[in-house]
Amino acid sequence: MQMEYFLLLAAALFCIGIYGLISSRNAVRVLMSIELMLNAVNLNLMGFSNFLDPSAIKGQVFTVFVITVAAAEAAVGLAIVLAIYRNRQTIDMEQFNLLKW
Amino acid sequence: MEQIFSESIWLVPCYALIGATLALMWSPGIIKKTGSRPAGYLNIAMTCVAFVHSVFALQEVWQQPVQEIRFPWLTAAGLYISFDIKISAVTVGALVLITGLNILAQIYAIGYMEMDWGWARFYALMSFFEAGLCGLALCNSLFFSYVFLELLTLATYLIVGFWFAQPLVVTGARDAFWTKRVGDLLLLIGIIALWSFTGTWNYDELAQWTEVANLKPITANLLCLALIAGPLAKCAQFPLQLWLDEAMEGPIPASMLRNSIVVATGAYVLIQLQPVLAQSDISNLFMLVIGSATAIGGSLIAIAQVDIKRTLSYSVSAYMGFVFIAVAIGANDAALLLILTHAVAMTLLYMSTGTIVISNITQNITLLGGVFSRRPLSGIAFLVGGAGLIAIPPFGGFWALLDLGNYLLEVEPILLGVMLVVDALTAFNLMRTFCLVFAGKPKAMTKRSAEVLWAMVVPMMILVGVSLHLPLIMQQFNLLPTWAKLDKSIALLLLGSSLLGISLAAILYLKDRKTKPVELVPTWIQQLLANDLYIQDIYRLTIVGLVSIVSRIISWCDRYIVDGVINSIGFGTLFSGQTLRYSNSGQSQFYFLSIVLGTILLGLMLALTFDVGFDFSKINFNTI
Repeated sequence: MQMEYFLLLAAALFCIGIYGLISSRNAVRVLMSIELMLNAVNLNLMGFSNFLDPSAIKGQVFTVFVITVAAAEAAVGLAIVLAIYRNRQTIDMEQFNLLKW
Repeated sequence: MEQIFSESIWLVPCYALIGATLALMWSPGIIKKTGSRPAGYLNIAMTCVAFVHSVFALQEVWQQPVQEIRFPWLTAAGLYISFDIKISAVTVGALVLITGLNILAQIYAIGYMEMDWGWARFYALMSFFEAGLCGLALCNSLFFSYVFLELLTLATYLIVGFWFAQPLVVTGARDAFWTKRVGDLLLLIGIIALWSFTGTWNYDELAQWTEVANLKPITANLLCLALIAGPLAKCAQFPLQLWLDEAMEGPIPASMLRNSIVVATGAYVLIQLQPVLAQSDISNLFMLVIGSATAIGGSLIAIAQVDIKRTLSYSVSAYMGFVFIAVAIGANDAALLLILTHAVAMTLLYMSTGTIVISNITQNITLLGGVFSRRPLSGIAFLVGGAGLIAIPPFGGFWALLDLGNYLLEVEPILLGVMLVVDALTAFNLMRTFCLVFAGKPKAMTKRSAEVLWAMVVPMMILVGVSLHLPLIMQQFNLLPTWAKLDKSIALLLLGSSLLGISLAAILYLKDRKTKPVELVPTWIQQLLANDLYIQDIYRLTIVGLVSIVSRIISWCDRYIVDGVINSIGFGTLFSGQTLRYSNSGQSQFYFLSIVLGTILLGLMLALTFDVGFDFSKINFNTI
């Protein structure tokens, strides 16, 4: 068990999150990808907190905050998706394009 | 003796200037109700005042030492320009000549401009001319001579363009202005270059400087050629002679003045510059060549003209060519004498032709004929003027040409031949014009030809008297060449050449012939001379063509290259803005991608440029 593994895992998770964020067409999946990225961040925070700051564990406190905010953000995000769905009857990300070229 | 008149001689140009200013009050737009005749009367009165003043001044300065008056004009940082006035018998005599001829021309204009509304403008310009000419005659500084020459150039433009509703007048005025302007500009180059060598523009000081001058030959040559270029254009010498021909579009009183006096202004400057010009052999040769070419070419062209005014205008060029020759050989007094006799004779010739033109309408001498019996006064005036111009003793022109011939015999005998030829040609031309206009049978245009108003006849007859008395006047002022010093054979030669020209013309034109005299020469020569050696086409093809092509190229470069560079910057910004807005795709996921890419890029840049200093090996990862 080394710190690098944690960090690499977190980075991989973040990359998957980003991939999902950019490539998904479903808005809920985009929100899910954001959750993945937040979790990757949390892993980082926990890893650093355990290996570098085992006595004060400030990273764990941050993690708690991040989870809290992530929950709030997911709530707001889902509400927005719902609002858009009520208007446009779809949650396809490529349909939400109001700019004209 | 009190010298009131000669000391206040500088007032003479001012009289005319005051007259010119006041005359403008009667412009049709200002005084609308009473017509503009008072403008003319006022100007004649002012000119009379100037004439009387100059006559009295001449009496005072006669055989007195030359006086000089200086006014400071500009003093600035090491540059001192003074307005120098020279009061000598020559300058004051020139004032008498100018003002005297001006009075006659202005009285003549009362009759000639009878049916014209533009008296205010006409008389203002005539007086402006008079002021400029008097100023030029008096001033003893090359710089101010240039100033006056330029003023006269502008005035020529305005007076040639007097009847500006006619298209040929507009082009004639344009050519007169530009051609003279080119010469003036070259003269300015010479004047400014001269300052750097001499530090003075005073003619007397220039003459003193020439005694110690030590210029490189090439410098002297270029300088003198530039100084000649101004008078070259002013005197309508080859190749800048076309303007005088086209300037015949103006009113006759103005033409008569311009041809007799204004054209001589260039010659006057040239005479005063003679000591400087003597520095360069090439410039003297140039003057001789130009003078001879113009004298012969001008008098040949004159013979081929059918317009009565133009037959005379080319003789003006020819006689100014004589002045060039005289200056080139250093015969200043002969040149001055020539200007005097030419001015009187040419004014008289123009007065006579003016009386013909005003009552017979046409200027084409082939349509005129047989008016002598009805118009003896005009005919006599023409004969006297002609006799005064060519070498017929005892009239004025004979003495001037004799004087010049005497100099030529000593210096350049071959030019004596040129003089004789030109004299014969001029005599032929004048006699031809006389025969075609006054002799023969009346033609349709001259069936009814009444003598004109007194206002035109009186000045003409006064001038006839002056012309007839000119030899006596010259004798009175000791202007005649000393008989003892002269070569009598020249007198005979001159007389012979004049008689030859006259009799040839009389034989050819007096008898009613089946073959017209014009058919005696080949058509192409006739066409060449009648079209002034096609000088108009030559101008159009060379200078005018070149300038017009160059200006078009420059205008194109300005419009497309210079403007284009600036406009392309604008277009580039517009285009990039139009293109780059497509980066706002409207897809939020694309925005995420650009944020991610930006972050990665920033991280890479930071990592590459700065040493981040994050060394993982220093961290103990194995605490757990």
